[in-house]
Amino acid sequence: MTCAGVRRRLSEWLDGDLEASLSRTLSVHLESCGACSRRAHELRAVSGLLAELPRLETEPVEAPVAMRLELAAGSRRPALAYLFRSMAAARPFILPSLVPAGCLLVLMFGALMVLDPGPLPEVRLAPGASASMPASGTEANPLFPSAEVLLPQQLAALALSPEVLAGQGEGSLFLETVVARDGSVAGVTLLEGDAGLEQPLIEALRQQRFQPVRFRGRRVAVSVYRLISRVQVAPTIPAPVS
Amino acid sequence: MSKFFERDRGTAVGTGEMSLGARSIPGVVPERELVASCRTGDPEAFARLVRLHEGMVVSLAVRLLGEVEEARDVAQEVFLQVYKQLGRFEGRSSLKTWIYRIAINQCHNRRRFWHRRRRDRERPLDEAILVPTLPGGRAGAGSPYDEAVRRERARQVQAALLELRFEHRSVLVLREVEGLTCEEVAAALGVPEGTVKSRLSRAREAMRRKLVGLIEGEVGP
Repeated sequence: MTCAGVRRRLSEWLDGDLEASLSRTLSVHLESCGACSRRAHELRAVSGLLAELPRLETEPVEAPVAMRLELAAGSRRPALAYLFRSMAAARPFILPSLVPAGCLLVLMFGALMVLDPGPLPEVRLAPGASASMPASGTEANPLFPSAEVLLPQQLAALALSPEVLAGQGEGSLFLETVVARDGSVAGVTLLEGDAGLEQPLIEALRQQRFQPVRFRGRRVAVSVYRLISRVQVAPTIPAPVS
Repeated sequence: MSKFFERDRGTAVGTGEMSLGARSIPGVVPERELVASCRTGDPEAFARLVRLHEGMVVSLAVRLLGEVEEARDVAQEVFLQVYKQLGRFEGRSSLKTWIYRIAINQCHNRRRFWHRRRRDRERPLDEAILVPTLPGGRAGAGSPYDEAVRRERARQVQAALLELRFEHRSVLVLREVEGLTCEEVAAALGVPEGTVKSRLSRAREAMRRKLVGLIEGEVGP
């Protein structure tokens, strides 16, 4: 055996891990070869030096470990951990169960593709349907008051004649007033209330004039909802003097 | 606690199923029962497990990292990991080997952490680890001169150890310092036994080259 071969096996020889015959060959070589024998001594000395490194006594880590475990337990939120603990126990079954799950998915998608009736019929609007819609902001399609569309301001307070005030009706009227682009009233629609009894009032409302409303620089028609109530006010009876 | 360190060095070698130092702690329970109690969440059982193994974990970490405080920090991490992973311990290797494996991984992570921050180059050798605090070690100490010689030798050996690659250092510490068998080292590192032997051979050779001056003084010309 060459010196290089011997030196490669010296570590195992020192540990007594070599086969008996190989070990004998090595021992014979070491007796005759000074350099290899010296190498063996040096390796043995390395082991000796390592083995005599001083042992240390440090403070026990038991207490800090216990403290950190308590901290960890205190800050832990157990709900999900408890929920999935049983899954951790079933870990060996997770991988095999993926195969039937995959088959099931493929089956479902296959069935969906077979049963698919094809694309839905296309819905077409009648020609000119959109053209028949009046332009927004006109009297036929008024805007509603919003952040940009202000409420129309009436030019003069509503002047009601004594006949109108002495009307027969009592109760509330719910009305939609469309204020036209020029500020006149384009229409008053009674949504709730008695039209026959309140006709004079509605006529008076039709005569109202408003400041024209502008939206992005152009005049627009605005729809306003109003609730008007008529209340009978009884004359106060003077308190008897004692 | 000190009882753990009072054990004879020889008893550390290949104690197999029984935990290290078990004979020196009264009321010892077999490893399997201890693990079973720990799994039920018994804090006293886990405290006993820590007491049984903390000495070997700190000792291993000190030799691998070269610093006492870092080693204690790593030891805490190791036992937190042990606590978390005890449910996965299958008993194929001994508890001791399993804990060694966690400790090696933690030390490796710490070294990588240092390396990324280039801290490993500027770390001086922790002088505290050169002083034997073991009563047995002190009993063997002779004159102050002998003590100084021993200390200098330990310093050189530890410095050489820290210069080795981590995989060589870990195999040397487990085999030569902690006294594990090749089979146990293989289990602790999670590599085949043949790999352990070849690494051991290369690590010893690297160590020999670094310590050749020291050895010449030892074995003579």
